[in-house]
Amino acid sequence: MRNFKTTALLLTVPASLVAIGLYAAPILQVLALSLTEPKFGLANYQSLFANAAVGRVVMTTLKVSVMTTVLTVLASYIVAFAIIHMSAGWRRISLFLVLVPFWISVLVRAFSWITILRRRGVLNSTLMDTGVISTPLDLVYNLFGVTIGMVHYMMPFAILLLYANLSDIDRRIMQAARSLGARPATIFWRVWLPLSLPGIALATLFVFVFSLGFLVTPALLGAGKTLMIAEYISVQISSTSRWDLATSLSTMLLLVVGIIVFAAMRSPALRAAFVARPQQ
Amino acid sequence: MKPRRIIEVGLPRLLAWCLLGFLFVPILVVIPVALTDRDYLSLPQDGMSMQHFAALADWSKGWLPSMLTSAGIALACAAIATVLGVAFAVGAWAAGGWWPSLMRILLLSPMIVPPIIYAVGMVKLWARLSLLDSYTGVILVHVVLALPLTVLAIGASLSNLDQRLVQAARSLGARPMTVFGKVILPNIVPGVAAGALLAFVSSWDEITVTLFITGRAVVTLPRRIWTSIQDAVDPALAAIATVLLVITVLALVARALVEQRQRQRKF
Repeated sequence: MRNFKTTALLLTVPASLVAIGLYAAPILQVLALSLTEPKFGLANYQSLFANAAVGRVVMTTLKVSVMTTVLTVLASYIVAFAIIHMSAGWRRISLFLVLVPFWISVLVRAFSWITILRRRGVLNSTLMDTGVISTPLDLVYNLFGVTIGMVHYMMPFAILLLYANLSDIDRRIMQAARSLGARPATIFWRVWLPLSLPGIALATLFVFVFSLGFLVTPALLGAGKTLMIAEYISVQISSTSRWDLATSLSTMLLLVVGIIVFAAMRSPALRAAFVARPQQ
Repeated sequence: MKPRRIIEVGLPRLLAWCLLGFLFVPILVVIPVALTDRDYLSLPQDGMSMQHFAALADWSKGWLPSMLTSAGIALACAAIATVLGVAFAVGAWAAGGWWPSLMRILLLSPMIVPPIIYAVGMVKLWARLSLLDSYTGVILVHVVLALPLTVLAIGASLSNLDQRLVQAARSLGARPMTVFGKVILPNIVPGVAAGALLAFVSSWDEITVTLFITGRAVVTLPRRIWTSIQDAVDPALAAIATVLLVITVLALVARALVEQRQRQRKF
């Protein structure tokens, strides 16, 4: 009896050691360094809050993350809602259009957007050749380009989350509402929307948290001009070697993400949606 | 259709298709750019050319070595992450209790903690252990980042497994390792395969942490693409993007066909 449980526990040891030694320990070291580099105390945090450049980076990050989250969740809801109402054939095609960007490398997607949006890119050349504009528009390496790229990156995640959530809703409730004389708009606002709130909350949480710490798309589509936290941290460790700034900013980011996730998990509906993710 | 119905049903549906187009169409732009006859990033001007695809196969241009590097790292990562993931998921499922639950949260946290924070920590740790820019260093980091996926995939398979199978085997006198190897493992093969595949793909695609812990010696494919995007000149970049796009589409079509065949077999 005991033997079986001991063996089972032993099986969990290797992965646990990897997680503790190669994940928890290095991250704890980041937290520790933020308090000790160069000398012990909260001095790094004081200078962090006094630093105007950091303030600007934080504001940019918040602005881009909020815009990305609102646009992504809204657009993804429209798509997911349409997909669950399609016939099986169309649904398969739509899911294919979602899954290709979902699986393809984030780098390929960022590269596509640069090709389309840059000054001599596909969009500007087309618009100039057709005479719509006479000088190229600045569409990338700014807030606009970063937000487009981020929304494009986050949408497949959000659509799949919302699609799973919406498919789980009992359709007989809508039939009941219809048979009682509710119009389509009423059914949407009074039945669909309230029932899909946990899914919307979960998608919002994921997209916002991913956006806050996202490096690749903001770095490539912002090219240093629209600077977000992750890229700012990366500059601190790779070019200026400011470990004090890098570690204290990382700690703040971790703290914010931790608080958001912790607060969200206190809501029973969200916890249920998170734990029992339905399988397709 | 009545006008009201067009606004309430037709308009949202049209918007949904536009958004699906927004997701899919921009990726296709890499195909014409890959076929350009110029030696800078542009649309084809006086005809199409396959020269940039040929450049991918040229060993000295560096794309082929990077593909092999990435494939090798991803295979090693998938093998290690799958073994660790199976052992952990099965052990946690059979044992239960606070320790496995706590470790599960720790193992899954790379999914939500921003990878940039992990990158900062690993640069420090690998610098101390002289593992920066080494294959071992990259593979170990990729294993940590792949473990959440294998643990979740195998966990999903296990949640469909009947606990009574284990009780039956044990009451018939099977030793613990026999129960794990001959009763549990054969029943979760689909989850293990899915976990291995996810681990391979996540390693093949990983860029954020890899960027900080590699230099000149280990150049994975994403790393080479990253550098190439920042230069924004070489059309071979569009060619490799096209190759990755085609692989993704083929894999999805293959999966759809397999699923369809399984569905037909059921009826």
